[in-house]
Amino acid sequence: MKAEVTYTDAELIEAISDGTDLNRAIQFIYRQHAEATSSFIRHYGGSEQDADDIFQDAVVAFIDVVKKGKFRMESNVRTFLASIAKNCWFNELKKRERAGHRNKQFEMSRPQDEPDVAEHINEIERKKQLRDLVDGLGESCRKILLLFYYENMTMREILYHLPYENEQVVRNKKYKCLQQLTGLIKDNPAVARQMQEIIK
Amino acid sequence: MTPEQKNVLIDHLDESLRGKASANLEEIVGNDPEAEKEWNYLRLAVDAVKEAGLYQEVSAARTAWKAEATNAAATIAAATGAASTTATATTAKVRPLYRVSLRAAAIILIITASASIYKYFSVSSGSLYDRYYSGYNLSTTRGAGDTDPVMDAYNAKDWNAVRQLAATAKTRTNQTDFLAGMACLEQKQYDEAISHFEQIIAVNTHAGTDLYQDEAEYYLAISWLARRNVNEAMPILEKIRADQHHKYHEKVERMSFFDLRLAQYKENK
Repeated sequence: MKAEVTYTDAELIEAISDGTDLNRAIQFIYRQHAEATSSFIRHYGGSEQDADDIFQDAVVAFIDVVKKGKFRMESNVRTFLASIAKNCWFNELKKRERAGHRNKQFEMSRPQDEPDVAEHINEIERKKQLRDLVDGLGESCRKILLLFYYENMTMREILYHLPYENEQVVRNKKYKCLQQLTGLIKDNPAVARQMQEIIK
Repeated sequence: MTPEQKNVLIDHLDESLRGKASANLEEIVGNDPEAEKEWNYLRLAVDAVKEAGLYQEVSAARTAWKAEATNAAATIAAATGAASTTATATTAKVRPLYRVSLRAAAIILIITASASIYKYFSVSSGSLYDRYYSGYNLSTTRGAGDTDPVMDAYNAKDWNAVRQLAATAKTRTNQTDFLAGMACLEQKQYDEAISHFEQIIAVNTHAGTDLYQDEAEYYLAISWLARRNVNEAMPILEKIRADQHHKYHEKVERMSFFDLRLAQYKENK
Protein backbone atom coordinates (compact mmCIF):
# COMPACT_ATOMS: atom_id res chain seq x y z
CA MET A 1 0.00 0.00 0.00
CA LYS A 2 1.18 3.54 -0.83
CA ALA A 3 2.55 5.40 2.19
CA GLU A 4 0.55 8.54 2.84
CA VAL A 5 2.12 11.56 4.47
CA THR A 6 0.20 13.36 7.19
CA TYR A 7 0.78 16.92 8.34
CA THR A 8 -0.23 19.05 11.28
CA ASP A 9 -1.59 22.46 10.29
CA ALA A 10 1.79 24.06 11.00
CA GLU A 11 3.65 21.44 8.96
CA LEU A 12 1.20 21.86 6.10
CA ILE A 13 1.72 25.64 6.04
CA GLU A 14 5.47 25.09 6.06
CA ALA A 15 5.32 22.53 3.24
CA ILE A 16 3.28 24.92 1.08
CA SER A 17 5.42 27.98 1.85
CA ASP A 18 8.56 26.00 1.23
CA GLY A 19 7.09 24.64 -2.03
CA THR A 20 9.42 21.66 -2.23
CA ASP A 21 6.69 19.04 -1.98
CA LEU A 22 3.58 20.98 -2.86
CA ASN A 23 1.95 18.08 -4.66
CA ARG A 24 2.01 15.84 -1.61
CA ALA A 25 0.64 18.66 0.52
CA ILE A 26 -2.24 19.16 -1.92
CA GLN A 27 -3.01 15.43 -1.87
CA PHE A 28 -3.08 15.54 1.92
CA ILE A 29 -5.51 18.49 1.85
CA TYR A 30 -7.81 16.45 -0.38
CA ARG A 31 -7.65 13.33 1.79
CA GLN A 32 -8.13 15.30 4.97
CA HIS A 33 -10.63 18.02 4.16
CA ALA A 34 -12.38 17.42 0.85
CA GLU A 35 -15.12 15.12 2.11
CA ALA A 36 -16.28 17.32 4.99
CA THR A 37 -16.32 20.47 2.88
CA SER A 38 -17.99 18.74 -0.04
CA SER A 39 -20.70 17.33 2.22
CA PHE A 40 -21.38 20.87 3.39
CA ILE A 41 -21.83 22.10 -0.20
CA ARG A 42 -24.10 19.14 -0.99
CA HIS A 43 -26.07 19.87 2.18
CA TYR A 44 -26.77 23.34 0.78
CA GLY A 45 -28.05 22.10 -2.55
CA GLY A 46 -24.85 21.63 -4.54
CA SER A 47 -24.22 18.66 -6.78
CA GLU A 48 -21.14 16.47 -6.39
CA GLN A 49 -19.56 18.34 -9.31
CA ASP A 50 -20.34 21.70 -7.64
CA ALA A 51 -18.79 20.48 -4.40
CA ASP A 52 -15.63 19.33 -6.19
CA ASP A 53 -15.29 22.58 -8.16
CA ILE A 54 -15.84 24.75 -5.11
CA PHE A 55 -13.38 22.76 -3.01
CA GLN A 56 -10.78 23.03 -5.77
CA ASP A 57 -11.17 26.83 -5.80
CA ALA A 58 -10.86 26.86 -2.02
CA VAL A 59 -7.63 24.83 -2.13
CA VAL A 60 -6.11 27.14 -4.77
CA ALA A 61 -7.08 30.20 -2.74
CA PHE A 62 -5.67 28.66 0.44
CA ILE A 63 -2.33 27.90 -1.22
CA ASP A 64 -2.17 31.41 -2.68
CA VAL A 65 -2.77 32.91 0.74
CA VAL A 66 -0.16 30.69 2.39
CA LYS A 67 2.43 31.37 -0.31
CA LYS A 68 1.94 35.10 0.16
CA GLY A 69 2.48 34.64 3.91
CA LYS A 70 -1.00 35.97 4.61
CA PHE A 71 -2.41 32.90 6.39
CA ARG A 72 -3.06 33.69 10.03
CA MET A 73 -2.74 30.68 12.28
CA GLU A 74 -5.59 31.79 14.56
CA SER A 75 -7.98 30.01 12.21
CA ASN A 76 -7.13 26.40 11.47
CA VAL A 77 -6.84 25.02 7.95
CA ARG A 78 -10.17 23.20 8.09
CA THR A 79 -12.02 26.35 9.19
CA PHE A 80 -10.32 28.48 6.55
CA LEU A 81 -11.09 26.05 3.73
CA ALA A 82 -14.67 25.70 4.94
CA SER A 83 -15.14 29.48 5.06
CA ILE A 84 -13.71 29.97 1.58
CA ALA A 85 -15.80 27.13 0.17
CA LYS A 86 -18.94 28.36 1.88
CA ASN A 87 -18.53 31.90 0.56
CA CYS A 88 -17.67 30.68 -2.93
CA TRP A 89 -20.80 28.55 -2.93
CA PHE A 90 -22.86 31.47 -1.67
CA ASN A 91 -21.56 33.60 -4.56
CA GLU A 92 -22.25 30.79 -6.99
CA LEU A 93 -25.82 30.48 -5.76
CA LYS A 94 -26.28 34.22 -6.19
CA LYS A 95 -24.98 33.95 -9.73
CA ARG A 96 -27.37 31.16 -10.54
CA GLU A 97 -30.22 33.30 -9.28
CA ARG A 98 -31.73 30.58 -7.24
CA ALA A 99 -30.68 31.78 -3.86
CA GLY A 100 -34.15 31.91 -2.29
CA HIS A 101 -34.83 29.91 0.81
CA ARG A 102 -31.56 28.06 1.13
CA ASN A 103 -29.55 31.28 1.01
CA LYS A 104 -31.63 32.76 3.77
CA GLN A 105 -30.88 29.76 5.96
CA PHE A 106 -27.27 30.07 4.98
CA GLU A 107 -26.99 33.74 5.91
CA MET A 108 -28.77 33.27 9.22
CA SER A 109 -26.50 30.49 10.33
CA ARG A 110 -23.28 32.35 9.56
CA PRO A 111 -21.21 32.43 12.77
CA GLN A 112 -19.64 35.67 13.95
CA ASP A 113 -16.24 34.21 14.74
CA GLU A 114 -15.70 33.05 11.16
CA PRO A 115 -12.47 34.31 9.53
CA ASP A 116 -12.96 37.25 7.19
CA VAL A 117 -12.41 35.80 3.77
CA ALA A 118 -14.16 38.45 1.63
CA GLU A 119 -10.83 39.71 0.32
CA HIS A 120 -9.83 36.18 -0.74
CA ILE A 121 -13.17 35.58 -2.44
CA ASN A 122 -12.70 38.66 -4.64
CA GLU A 123 -9.22 37.42 -5.40
CA ILE A 124 -10.63 34.05 -6.52
CA GLU A 125 -12.93 35.79 -9.00
CA ARG A 126 -10.10 37.94 -10.33
CA LYS A 127 -7.78 34.98 -10.72
CA LYS A 128 -10.42 32.97 -12.54
CA GLN A 129 -10.52 35.69 -15.19
CA LEU A 130 -6.72 35.62 -15.47
CA ARG A 131 -6.69 31.83 -15.76
CA ASP A 132 -9.19 32.02 -18.58
CA LEU A 133 -6.83 34.32 -20.45
CA VAL A 134 -3.95 31.84 -20.05
CA ASP A 135 -6.26 29.10 -21.33
CA GLY A 136 -6.91 31.35 -24.33
CA LEU A 137 -3.27 31.07 -25.40
CA GLY A 138 -2.32 28.27 -27.76
CA GLU A 139 -1.14 25.00 -26.24
CA SER A 140 2.53 25.59 -27.11
CA CYS A 141 2.54 29.08 -25.53
CA ARG A 142 0.72 27.83 -22.47
CA LYS A 143 3.23 25.03 -22.01
CA ILE A 144 6.34 27.14 -22.45
CA LEU A 145 5.12 29.79 -20.00
CA LEU A 146 4.07 27.19 -17.42
CA LEU A 147 7.42 25.41 -17.64
CA PHE A 148 9.35 28.66 -17.23
CA TYR A 149 7.27 30.58 -14.71
CA TYR A 150 5.49 27.83 -12.73
CA GLU A 151 7.96 24.95 -12.90
CA ASN A 152 10.92 27.39 -12.79
CA MET A 153 12.75 25.50 -15.54
CA THR A 154 15.71 26.98 -17.37
CA MET A 155 15.71 27.36 -21.16
CA ARG A 156 17.94 24.30 -21.38
CA GLU A 157 15.52 22.20 -19.30
CA ILE A 158 12.59 23.35 -21.42
CA LEU A 159 14.42 22.04 -24.48
CA TYR A 160 14.03 18.51 -23.05
CA HIS A 161 10.27 18.94 -22.81
CA LEU A 162 9.39 20.83 -25.97
CA PRO A 163 10.46 20.28 -29.58
CA TYR A 164 12.59 23.39 -30.22
CA GLU A 165 16.00 23.50 -31.89
CA ASN A 166 17.95 25.50 -29.33
CA GLU A 167 17.69 27.74 -26.27
CA GLN A 168 17.49 30.93 -28.32
CA VAL A 169 14.42 29.64 -30.16
CA VAL A 170 12.80 28.83 -26.81
CA ARG A 171 13.70 32.29 -25.50
CA ASN A 172 12.21 34.03 -28.56
CA LYS A 173 9.08 31.93 -28.35
CA LYS A 174 8.69 32.80 -24.67
CA TYR A 175 9.01 36.54 -25.42
CA LYS A 176 6.24 36.24 -27.99
CA CYS A 177 4.01 34.19 -25.71
CA LEU A 178 4.33 36.54 -22.76
CA GLN A 179 3.63 39.53 -24.98
CA GLN A 180 0.63 37.70 -26.42
CA LEU A 181 -0.65 37.17 -22.89
CA THR A 182 -0.18 40.83 -21.90
CA GLY A 183 -2.06 41.69 -25.10
CA LEU A 184 -4.97 39.48 -24.02
CA ILE A 185 -4.95 41.13 -20.59
CA LYS A 186 -5.03 44.62 -22.13
CA ASP A 187 -7.87 43.60 -24.45
CA ASN A 188 -9.97 42.19 -21.59
CA PRO A 189 -12.01 45.11 -20.25
CA ALA A 190 -12.64 43.63 -16.80
CA VAL A 191 -9.00 42.72 -16.16
CA ALA A 192 -7.69 45.95 -17.71
CA ARG A 193 -9.97 47.92 -15.38
CA GLN A 194 -8.59 46.09 -12.36
CA MET A 195 -5.12 46.81 -13.65
CA GLN A 196 -5.87 50.53 -13.97
CA GLU A 197 -6.99 50.52 -10.35
CA ILE A 198 -3.77 48.83 -9.30
CA ILE A 199 -1.69 51.33 -11.28
CA LYS A 200 -3.53 54.32 -9.75
CA MET B 1 7.06 50.53 -26.70
CA THR B 2 8.73 48.45 -29.36
CA PRO B 3 8.75 44.64 -29.02
CA GLU B 4 12.53 44.84 -28.41
CA GLN B 5 12.04 47.25 -25.51
CA LYS B 6 9.39 44.93 -24.12
CA ASN B 7 11.83 42.03 -24.38
CA VAL B 8 14.35 43.99 -22.31
CA LEU B 9 11.68 44.43 -19.66
CA ILE B 10 10.89 40.72 -19.80
CA ASP B 11 14.57 39.92 -19.22
CA HIS B 12 14.59 42.19 -16.19
CA LEU B 13 11.42 40.56 -14.89
CA ASP B 14 12.84 37.06 -15.31
CA GLU B 15 16.02 38.01 -13.54
CA SER B 16 14.16 39.57 -10.63
CA LEU B 17 11.89 36.51 -10.35
CA ARG B 18 14.93 34.27 -10.08
CA GLY B 19 16.53 36.44 -7.43
CA LYS B 20 19.06 38.15 -9.63
CA ALA B 21 19.59 41.89 -9.29
CA SER B 22 18.63 44.03 -12.28
CA ALA B 23 20.59 47.21 -11.76
CA ASN B 24 19.06 49.62 -14.26
CA LEU B 25 15.44 48.49 -13.91
CA GLU B 26 14.45 51.40 -11.66
CA GLU B 27 16.00 53.76 -14.18
CA ILE B 28 13.97 52.30 -17.05
CA VAL B 29 10.65 51.94 -15.24
CA GLY B 30 10.96 55.00 -13.00
CA ASN B 31 11.57 57.47 -15.83
CA ASP B 32 9.08 56.14 -18.35
CA PRO B 33 5.36 55.88 -17.45
CA GLU B 34 4.71 53.69 -20.47
CA ALA B 35 7.44 51.28 -19.38
CA GLU B 36 6.02 51.24 -15.87
CA LYS B 37 2.59 50.37 -17.23
CA GLU B 38 4.04 47.62 -19.40
CA TRP B 39 6.02 46.32 -16.42
CA ASN B 40 2.81 46.00 -14.40
CA TYR B 41 1.07 44.17 -17.23
CA LEU B 42 4.00 41.76 -17.49
CA ARG B 43 3.89 41.06 -13.77
CA LEU B 44 0.16 40.43 -14.00
CA ALA B 45 0.73 38.06 -16.91
CA VAL B 46 3.28 36.09 -14.89
CA ASP B 47 0.84 35.98 -11.95
CA ALA B 48 -1.77 34.59 -14.34
CA VAL B 49 0.61 31.87 -15.53
CA LYS B 50 1.52 30.89 -11.97
CA GLU B 51 -2.17 30.79 -11.08
CA ALA B 52 -2.91 28.56 -14.08
CA GLY B 53 -0.04 26.25 -13.05
CA LEU B 54 -1.28 25.95 -9.49
CA TYR B 55 -4.83 25.31 -10.67
CA GLN B 56 -3.54 22.57 -12.96
CA GLU B 57 -1.61 20.95 -10.12
CA VAL B 58 -4.60 21.04 -7.76
CA SER B 59 -6.77 19.71 -10.56
CA ALA B 60 -4.42 16.72 -10.90
CA ALA B 61 -4.65 16.02 -7.15
CA ARG B 62 -8.44 16.22 -7.38
CA THR B 63 -8.48 13.70 -10.21
CA ALA B 64 -6.17 11.38 -8.26
CA TRP B 65 -8.35 11.64 -5.17
CA LYS B 66 -11.44 10.80 -7.20
CA ALA B 67 -9.68 7.93 -8.92
CA GLU B 68 -8.61 6.28 -5.64
CA ALA B 69 -12.01 4.79 -4.90
CA THR B 70 -12.51 3.74 -8.50
CA ASN B 71 -9.08 2.08 -8.60
CA ALA B 72 -9.77 0.15 -5.42
CA ALA B 73 -12.97 -1.25 -6.92
CA ALA B 74 -11.15 -2.09 -10.15
CA THR B 75 -8.44 -4.00 -8.24
CA ILE B 76 -11.08 -6.17 -6.62
CA ALA B 77 -12.75 -6.74 -9.96
CA ALA B 78 -9.43 -7.90 -11.41
CA ALA B 79 -8.77 -10.21 -8.44
CA THR B 80 -12.23 -11.77 -8.70
CA GLY B 81 -11.74 -12.28 -12.45
CA ALA B 82 -8.36 -13.96 -11.92
CA ALA B 83 -9.83 -16.35 -9.35
CA SER B 84 -12.58 -17.48 -11.71
CA THR B 85 -10.08 -17.90 -14.58
CA THR B 86 -7.90 -20.10 -12.39
CA ALA B 87 -10.86 -22.21 -11.33
CA THR B 88 -11.77 -22.76 -14.99
CA ALA B 89 -8.19 -23.80 -15.74
CA THR B 90 -8.49 -26.80 -13.41
CA THR B 91 -10.78 -28.48 -15.92
CA ALA B 92 -8.04 -28.61 -18.56
CA LYS B 93 -6.50 -31.92 -19.58
CA VAL B 94 -3.34 -32.98 -17.70
CA ARG B 95 -0.54 -35.30 -18.64
CA PRO B 96 -0.29 -38.56 -16.58
CA LEU B 97 3.24 -37.80 -15.31
CA TYR B 98 2.08 -34.75 -13.37
CA ARG B 99 -1.37 -36.03 -12.56
CA VAL B 100 -0.94 -36.45 -8.78
CA SER B 101 0.67 -33.11 -8.12
CA LEU B 102 -1.72 -31.32 -10.45
CA ARG B 103 -4.63 -33.00 -8.74
CA ALA B 104 -3.41 -31.71 -5.39
CA ALA B 105 -2.94 -28.24 -6.88
CA ALA B 106 -6.40 -28.43 -8.39
CA ILE B 107 -7.90 -29.36 -5.00
CA ILE B 108 -6.15 -26.39 -3.39
CA LEU B 109 -7.37 -24.14 -6.17
CA ILE B 110 -10.91 -25.44 -5.87
CA ILE B 111 -10.84 -24.86 -2.12
CA THR B 112 -9.44 -21.36 -2.67
CA ALA B 113 -11.98 -20.64 -5.39
CA SER B 114 -14.79 -21.98 -3.19
CA ALA B 115 -13.61 -19.81 -0.31
CA SER B 116 -13.46 -16.81 -2.66
CA ILE B 117 -16.92 -17.55 -3.98
CA TYR B 118 -18.27 -17.97 -0.43
CA LYS B 119 -16.57 -14.71 0.53
CA TYR B 120 -17.95 -12.98 -2.52
CA PHE B 121 -21.51 -14.01 -1.81
CA SER B 122 -21.38 -13.63 1.97
CA VAL B 123 -19.87 -10.14 2.08
CA SER B 124 -22.35 -7.32 1.70
CA SER B 125 -22.81 -3.87 3.13
CA GLY B 126 -25.51 -5.30 5.41
CA SER B 127 -23.24 -8.02 6.75
CA LEU B 128 -20.48 -5.45 7.26
CA TYR B 129 -22.87 -3.28 9.22
CA ASP B 130 -23.78 -6.23 11.44
CA ARG B 131 -20.09 -6.95 11.93
CA TYR B 132 -18.98 -3.40 12.74
CA TYR B 133 -21.92 -1.76 14.45
CA SER B 134 -21.67 -1.35 18.18
CA GLY B 135 -23.78 1.07 20.19
CA TYR B 136 -22.49 4.29 21.67
CA ASN B 137 -22.06 4.26 25.41
CA LEU B 138 -22.72 7.78 26.59
CA SER B 139 -22.03 7.32 30.29
CA THR B 140 -18.45 6.17 29.81
CA THR B 141 -17.44 8.91 27.45
CA ARG B 142 -19.16 12.02 28.76
CA GLY B 143 -19.01 13.68 32.17
CA ALA B 144 -21.70 12.90 34.69
CA GLY B 145 -22.29 16.56 35.48
CA ASP B 146 -23.81 17.47 32.11
CA THR B 147 -26.86 15.21 32.11
CA ASP B 148 -30.11 16.36 30.57
CA PRO B 149 -33.42 14.64 29.73
CA VAL B 150 -32.14 13.51 26.32
CA MET B 151 -29.06 11.99 27.88
CA ASP B 152 -31.14 10.35 30.61
CA ALA B 153 -33.46 8.83 28.02
CA TYR B 154 -30.46 7.69 25.98
CA ASN B 155 -28.84 6.01 28.98
CA ALA B 156 -32.20 4.31 29.69
CA LYS B 157 -32.20 3.12 26.04
CA ASP B 158 -35.59 4.73 25.57
CA TRP B 159 -35.01 5.45 21.88
CA ASN B 160 -38.51 6.84 21.21
CA ALA B 161 -38.09 9.33 24.05
CA VAL B 162 -34.62 10.35 22.81
CA ARG B 163 -35.97 11.12 19.36
CA GLN B 164 -39.03 12.91 20.66
CA LEU B 165 -37.05 15.02 23.17
CA ALA B 166 -34.46 15.89 20.54
CA ALA B 167 -37.15 16.89 18.07
CA THR B 168 -38.88 19.17 20.55
CA ALA B 169 -35.75 20.57 22.23
CA LYS B 170 -35.68 24.36 22.37
CA THR B 171 -32.09 24.51 21.15
CA ARG B 172 -30.73 22.00 18.73
CA THR B 173 -27.15 21.08 19.58
CA ASN B 174 -24.69 18.63 18.09
CA GLN B 175 -25.21 16.45 21.16
CA THR B 176 -28.98 16.20 20.73
CA ASP B 177 -28.51 15.56 17.03
CA PHE B 178 -25.96 12.87 17.72
CA LEU B 179 -28.06 11.09 20.34
CA ALA B 180 -31.12 11.34 18.10
CA GLY B 181 -29.03 9.87 15.26
CA MET B 182 -27.93 6.98 17.47
CA ALA B 183 -31.51 6.37 18.59
CA CYS B 184 -32.54 6.23 14.92
CA LEU B 185 -29.75 3.73 14.24
CA GLU B 186 -30.92 1.57 17.13
CA GLN B 187 -34.43 1.64 15.66
CA LYS B 188 -33.10 0.92 12.17
CA GLN B 189 -34.30 4.29 10.85
CA TYR B 190 -31.14 4.71 8.80
CA ASP B 191 -32.16 7.66 6.60
CA GLU B 192 -33.04 9.73 9.62
CA ALA B 193 -29.81 8.73 11.35
CA ILE B 194 -27.85 9.84 8.27
CA SER B 195 -29.62 13.17 8.24
CA HIS B 196 -28.72 13.80 11.92
CA PHE B 197 -25.05 12.90 11.46
CA GLU B 198 -24.74 14.96 8.29
CA GLN B 199 -26.29 17.90 10.11
CA ILE B 200 -23.55 17.70 12.77
CA ILE B 201 -20.80 17.61 10.15
CA ALA B 202 -22.36 20.52 8.26
CA VAL B 203 -22.72 22.59 11.42
CA ASN B 204 -19.11 21.90 12.44
CA THR B 205 -17.79 22.65 8.98
CA HIS B 206 -19.75 25.82 8.91
CA ALA B 207 -18.85 27.01 12.39
CA GLY B 208 -15.29 25.66 12.47
CA THR B 209 -16.06 23.56 15.56
CA ASP B 210 -15.58 19.84 16.07
CA LEU B 211 -18.17 18.91 18.69
CA TYR B 212 -19.19 15.27 18.10
CA GLN B 213 -17.45 15.50 14.72
CA ASP B 214 -15.51 12.24 15.01
CA GLU B 215 -18.52 10.38 16.38
CA ALA B 216 -20.76 11.74 13.63
CA GLU B 217 -18.30 10.77 10.90
CA TYR B 218 -17.88 7.23 12.15
CA TYR B 219 -21.57 6.55 12.71
CA LEU B 220 -22.45 8.24 9.42
CA ALA B 221 -20.24 5.70 7.65
CA ILE B 222 -21.84 2.88 9.67
CA SER B 223 -25.30 4.22 8.75
CA TRP B 224 -24.40 4.20 5.06
CA LEU B 225 -23.33 0.56 5.44
CA ALA B 226 -26.66 -0.20 7.07
CA ARG B 227 -28.34 1.64 4.22
CA ARG B 228 -26.46 -0.70 1.84
CA ASN B 229 -24.53 2.16 0.28
CA VAL B 230 -20.81 1.36 0.59
CA ASN B 231 -19.94 4.02 -1.98
CA GLU B 232 -20.95 6.71 0.50
CA ALA B 233 -19.33 4.95 3.47
CA MET B 234 -15.94 4.30 1.89
CA PRO B 235 -14.61 7.88 1.58
CA ILE B 236 -15.50 8.56 5.21
CA LEU B 237 -13.85 5.35 6.41
CA GLU B 238 -10.77 6.07 4.27
CA LYS B 239 -10.58 9.54 5.79
CA ILE B 240 -10.81 8.17 9.34
CA ARG B 241 -8.18 5.55 8.56
CA ALA B 242 -5.83 8.27 7.25
CA ASP B 243 -6.29 10.42 10.35
CA GLN B 244 -4.35 8.97 13.25
CA HIS B 245 -5.83 11.53 15.62
CA HIS B 246 -9.40 10.52 14.83
CA LYS B 247 -11.22 9.00 17.82
CA TYR B 248 -12.33 6.05 15.71
CA HIS B 249 -9.05 5.59 13.86
CA GLU B 250 -8.13 2.33 15.62
CA LYS B 251 -11.60 0.92 15.19
CA VAL B 252 -11.56 1.63 11.46
CA GLU B 253 -7.99 0.39 11.16
CA ARG B 254 -9.23 -3.02 12.38
CA MET B 255 -11.91 -3.18 9.68
CA SER B 256 -11.33 -5.35 6.64
CA PHE B 257 -10.97 -2.94 3.74
CA PHE B 258 -10.81 -5.90 1.41
CA ASP B 259 -14.32 -6.88 2.47
CA LEU B 260 -15.48 -3.27 2.24
CA ARG B 261 -14.11 -2.93 -1.30
CA LEU B 262 -15.57 -6.27 -2.24
CA ALA B 263 -18.98 -5.07 -1.04
CA GLN B 264 -18.41 -1.82 -2.94
CA TYR B 265 -17.56 -3.73 -6.10
CA LYS B 266 -20.72 -5.82 -5.78
CA GLU B 267 -22.73 -2.70 -5.21
CA ASN B 268 -21.35 -1.03 -8.33
CA LYS B 269 -21.80 -4.05 -10.58
